[in-house]
Amino acid sequence: METQSIAEISSPRSSVRKFRLPRMQELGLVVVIVVLGAILSTYGWYDARPGHPNTFLNKDNLIDGIATPMSYYAIMAVGQTFVIITAGIDISVGAIMAVSALGSAALLIRISPHYSTSTIIVLSVAMPLAIGLLCGLLNGLLIVALDLHPFIVTLGTMSIFRGLANVIPWDTLTNTLDPKTLVLPKATAPLMKYQIGGVNVIPGITMLICVILGGIYLRLMVAGRQVYAIGGNEQASRYSGLRVKWIKLWVYALSGLSAGVAGMVSLGRFGTASTSTGNTYELTVIAAAVVGGASLSGGRGTALGALLGTLVIAMIENGIYTLNLKQEYRLIIIGCAIVVAVSLDQISALINERRLARLGGRAS
Amino acid sequence: MIAFDSITKTFAGVTALNNVSLSIERGECHGLMGENGAGKSTLGKILAGIYSPDSGTVNIDGKSQSISSPRDAMRAGIGMVHQELAFCPDLTVAENLCMGIYPRKFGLFLDRKAMIAKAEKLLAQIDVSLDVCQCMRALSTAQEQLVQIAAAVGTNARILIFDEPTSSLSEPESQALFGLIERLRARGVTMIYVSHRMPEVFRLCDRISVLRDGKYVGTMTRAEATQDAIVRMMIGRSVTDYFPQHLDSSAGDVMLRVRNLTSPGKFNDVSFDIRRGEIVGFAGLVGAGRSEIATAIFGLDPSASGSIELNGKPLRLGSVRQAMSRGIGLVPEDRKRQGLVLGMSGRGNFSLASLDRLSRMGLLDFAEERRQAADYFDRLRVKTPSLEAPVAGLSGGNQQKIALAKWLGRGAKLLIVDEPTRGVDIGAKAAIHQIIDNLARQGVAIMLISSELPEVLNLSTRILVMREGRLVGEVPRAQATQERVVRLMANVAEATS
Ligand SMILES: Nc1ncnc2c1ncn2[C@@H]1O[C@H](COP(=O)(O)OP(=O)(O)OP(=O)(O)O)[C@@H](O)[C@H]1O
Ligand SMILES: [Mg+2]
Repeated sequence: METQSIAEISSPRSSVRKFRLPRMQELGLVVVIVVLGAILSTYGWYDARPGHPNTFLNKDNLIDGIATPMSYYAIMAVGQTFVIITAGIDISVGAIMAVSALGSAALLIRISPHYSTSTIIVLSVAMPLAIGLLCGLLNGLLIVALDLHPFIVTLGTMSIFRGLANVIPWDTLTNTLDPKTLVLPKATAPLMKYQIGGVNVIPGITMLICVILGGIYLRLMVAGRQVYAIGGNEQASRYSGLRVKWIKLWVYALSGLSAGVAGMVSLGRFGTASTSTGNTYELTVIAAAVVGGASLSGGRGTALGALLGTLVIAMIENGIYTLNLKQEYRLIIIGCAIVVAVSLDQISALINERRLARLGGRAS
Repeated sequence: MIAFDSITKTFAGVTALNNVSLSIERGECHGLMGENGAGKSTLGKILAGIYSPDSGTVNIDGKSQSISSPRDAMRAGIGMVHQELAFCPDLTVAENLCMGIYPRKFGLFLDRKAMIAKAEKLLAQIDVSLDVCQCMRALSTAQEQLVQIAAAVGTNARILIFDEPTSSLSEPESQALFGLIERLRARGVTMIYVSHRMPEVFRLCDRISVLRDGKYVGTMTRAEATQDAIVRMMIGRSVTDYFPQHLDSSAGDVMLRVRNLTSPGKFNDVSFDIRRGEIVGFAGLVGAGRSEIATAIFGLDPSASGSIELNGKPLRLGSVRQAMSRGIGLVPEDRKRQGLVLGMSGRGNFSLASLDRLSRMGLLDFAEERRQAADYFDRLRVKTPSLEAPVAGLSGGNQQKIALAKWLGRGAKLLIVDEPTRGVDIGAKAAIHQIIDNLARQGVAIMLISSELPEVLNLSTRILVMREGRLVGEVPRAQATQERVVRLMANVAEATS
């Protein structure tokens, strides 16, 4: 009865026209990566000595030269993307990574003789994650409870966490170890040094797991939708009954957790951590997230974008080696690449809009 | 004087204007009508230099004029009252009003006194008195609209575009605006007036043009135009205003019981009941405190005190989540700030308030979400390129429909609708009225806040009138006349007439 009368009054023509925009946000990045890959492998083929493999396109370079070093950045870029989508920022991730790696190292050294290998492996995974999560929660609490700007809060905590990383080893380990470098017993080796075909695969696999989990969270889960909503319009989200404060707190906790994962991978891979672990990583992480399509004004960004953004930066960094460029130019080249990548994203959006406009003009 | 010559304008896949030619004579007030998304605002914005057309020209005084920026437009003497209000929220009213042409001292320094005096003078033209030193953020939507009008008129433009200037104004404020428009007309200012409110278009405009789906349909002089003819041009069929059939106000049990609700500086000691199946209309002037009561009931006002009972059980103040889980819904007044996430798709906005119902174990049910969104968009005649298009690109009326669909989709026992049809075209308005009435018939209690008096009078089973934060009267439907309600709103004693 009710629907009937409404159908009566609404017009016969359906006013919701149904066609979907064929725009995938990450498409531009994929193109950049393919082009970059083509250039590097062409040079790598040309550069290789006769009988030797392509200097770029070979298993060792792709895993050890790109996937493994980028894994820390990519893992943290996924966490950072969550924060950036809510229009926030977390510049303390590098320091959290250091604190979680060093803190766990300090603890592992003290307990390792008393436990079985499997217990130690579990601890070596759980401890950095727990430390990262705690640091992230602290960030979130300060931001939400005191209503402070995330840049300032994480600027402060960055300094605090980095300071903690400097302090921890000193008082627990001075007598046994060189204060600058901690050598762990082979506690973490069995897991993190696991090899397939002669290369370390765990960092890369951890990275992919993080990206997939992050992607599921953001795309498929209610909680992810809410993250986008509060980044797009916080007031409207409150008017829709979203728990804005909880969501924000959780987002910073997740970013901290991702830094903890990065700390775990780093600790496992090197079997050691130093006070300079993760130093200035936050800048690359933020750049990677933004290159991957996250908008600093909030509401936009994806986990896959974070991975691809990091990959672009990692390929360029790797390319500097394989192209035999001078290391002195590294920072300049990477800086330029970031600026170009971000503007390319803008340009591709513009071109896409033009194309759609032309299509629309023709359709009518 | 102004001639639009075959103007075409497209946005990402949407043709907003298709070969529109239209001429406007010097000194006339030209009405522009059409459904939501017909292209009215786009045409106005092209004249005001905010958009440039893909093809076609704008001629002013017979000369082809290239207006490619708002600055050009200002220089050519064109001003616009925008439908979507845009201000710097942290600057004062005076600073916002004088933006662009700040009074200076010694050519270099800001002359604060002159600025304040000028702002007050601009507002006085439309009988508004406001503290011009307060921040823009503190104003209500309607007050912003008044400031917007004052700002545009204050540029001394010779061509003025009013894009739905009265959409959140109540009767007396609109009257003040009409007075101003008459004075401007006497001064020879040429005006384009966009509105969905028929009576005011008929009252003000010398000629009325109609757009439909981005195409020009025709122009009529006021003498030859009838409401029905215009509506036919707009949507191709006639629409009659929807009048609800059930007028029984003592039907159900009390659903909402509000006692001594007070929020300092907003409203004072307000008590009322709403029964199941009732539509209680709230009338009042701009700033009377109606929207503030709505947000307090919905748990968004932490400083509110008093008692609220829903279905006989007390409701904790200050908790949106409890209000929602007990079955209260609120369609807020300001769709841009409170109602919608502009960067999100129509589908995402639709489901934002009902995510808990559209999910299983934290995972979204996309198919169901899409199905419901499409269903409601169809019923409300939302014009959008797709469910996935960001709502930022939709016309004002279509955004409003989505803000409403969001809460209709969730469903409620008590639905508070604050300006539900602000900026919505005639056809969709009738559909919305019918939906609201149907909900009431099914036993939903409705609190209707609207600045459009005919809407309140037609739809409500009972009308409560507010003035300066207090409930000052109750008018049963049978005795509700426009005159009587306006008197109560404005505190004019009946004896004086
Ligand atoms: N910035 C934009 N980006 C994308 N599409 C737009 C943009 N502005 C307008 N449109 C589209 O152009 C069409 C006309 O919009 P316009 O705002 O002119 O309608 P209108 O007649 O003013 O409607 P309303 O009565 O709802 O205000 C709409 O379909 C709208 O979706
Ligand atoms: Mg409009």
